Amino acid sequence: MHPPLEPNLYKMAFPTDISVIYESIIASVFALWFLLTIFCQFRYTKFSAYIRHTIDVFGLIPLWTFFAPNPGKSDYHLLYRDKIDEETNGEWEEMDITEERSFWSWCWNPDKRDKKILADVIQSLIASIPQYKTDKGYDLLMFSMPYLIVLHAVSHCQCKTGKAQRQFMLAETSGYLRETAPSVILLSVFHQI
Amino acid sequence: MISIIETNQLILMILSVGLFISTMEYIKKIQIFSSTGLLSWNVMQLRWEKKDQDSFFSPLFKLFNEKGLAVIFGLRCLIILGLLFFPLETTYGWILVGLLGCSLLASSMITFYGSDGSDQMNMLIIITLFLCHFPGIAGSRLATMGLWFIGLQTCLSYTVAGIAKLASAEWRASTAVKDVFSTKTYGSRWAAVLLKKHPGINVFLCWNVMIMETLFPLCLILPFNYALIFIIWGFIFHLLTAIIMGLNSFFWSFMAAYPALFYINHQIQLHLF
Repeated sequence: MHPPLEPNLYKMAFPTDISVIYESIIASVFALWFLLTIFCQFRYTKFSAYIRHTIDVFGLIPLWTFFAPNPGKSDYHLLYRDKIDEETNGEWEEMDITEERSFWSWCWNPDKRDKKILADVIQSLIASIPQYKTDKGYDLLMFSMPYLIVLHAVSHCQCKTGKAQRQFMLAETSGYLRETAPSVILLSVFHQI
Repeated sequence: MISIIETNQLILMILSVGLFISTMEYIKKIQIFSSTGLLSWNVMQLRWEKKDQDSFFSPLFKLFNEKGLAVIFGLRCLIILGLLFFPLETTYGWILVGLLGCSLLASSMITFYGSDGSDQMNMLIIITLFLCHFPGIAGSRLATMGLWFIGLQTCLSYTVAGIAKLASAEWRASTAVKDVFSTKTYGSRWAAVLLKKHPGINVFLCWNVMIMETLFPLCLILPFNYALIFIIWGFIFHLLTAIIMGLNSFFWSFMAAYPALFYINHQIQLHLF
């Protein structure tokens, strides 16, 4: 004769109706999640954009195309300067984001967050440029969220001149090997801060 | 063969190490959430439309500042420490995993920019463990299903990354690794110089990554000795990306999924042979 099963083992061996229903629901959730993940790997489709920007508020649908198709071969820099008077501008200052990594970054790397945020914001900004093109140019771009994030960040940097107008520049460099010249991605107008 | 309970517990333990480090990193960088920071809620709230401001999530919005998020991250660290004492199979362990999932979901609403694949893998695993261990209802079949889901998502991640690289002219031209390693963000000076001096290493690394990533799902069906090649490759790959590229959180979140690959491989081998 078999010894009596413990309650948990009993449930594993003889699933009840509730557990069967629960299993079916979870199986459906996983199937849907997996299928959505597959479909959303095609990032430039309308369906993918709709899911990512409208439905997936928690970022649960991953994009697994790490470093592809564009491998990310630039360092991004965020610089700003103030207007001193109508004809003179202050020196460019750089926000300390793209610094060299420390020796311990293989296990402790808090700085990666700033860099990733800036990289994401810039890529989002570049991607949104065509959407904001009008007959008058790109004036509406300054209402886009990535633009506002950058403007908000630079507007809180210390103002050395005491003046209240600030311009920012997004630039990219090719890192250690310097195989390509630094280039400007975006130069903003002067903003009242 | 490792049991299903041990496999799930091992996944949770490896994940917890990475999550603890990642959370402490966020605490160190908490100023990015301040009113003057890059992810200030003053700006990030613009992502939510007016109708969303009155939604179910709106009470959470009050937490999205430096202090509120410091509390969330602090509590998350305590929950992770609590998991040392309460295994996943216990009711308390399951509740802690649920709370951990809630804290990840909450913070994901403000880290729209800056989060990466490791954060998504962490959330995916935690939610799966939570759903598959509902006390009194979930059984071993559901726990197995959870492991399959984690394993398949892991394989999908590698395959998609591999195919996307194969489709990229820069990867096929074997310049991508050198280009990435030459950035200050994801590279190292010594690695960039080494690859510039020895282009052959660059070609090897590019094609090695493209082929192994694309073929990675084979680790589920190949006999274990051959599957181990992919597992060891993955371990070395993530270790090197942590050392050279500073992607430390990827190491833990993807290593956490590997016990699921082991389990699935053993299960398939048992059924096949």
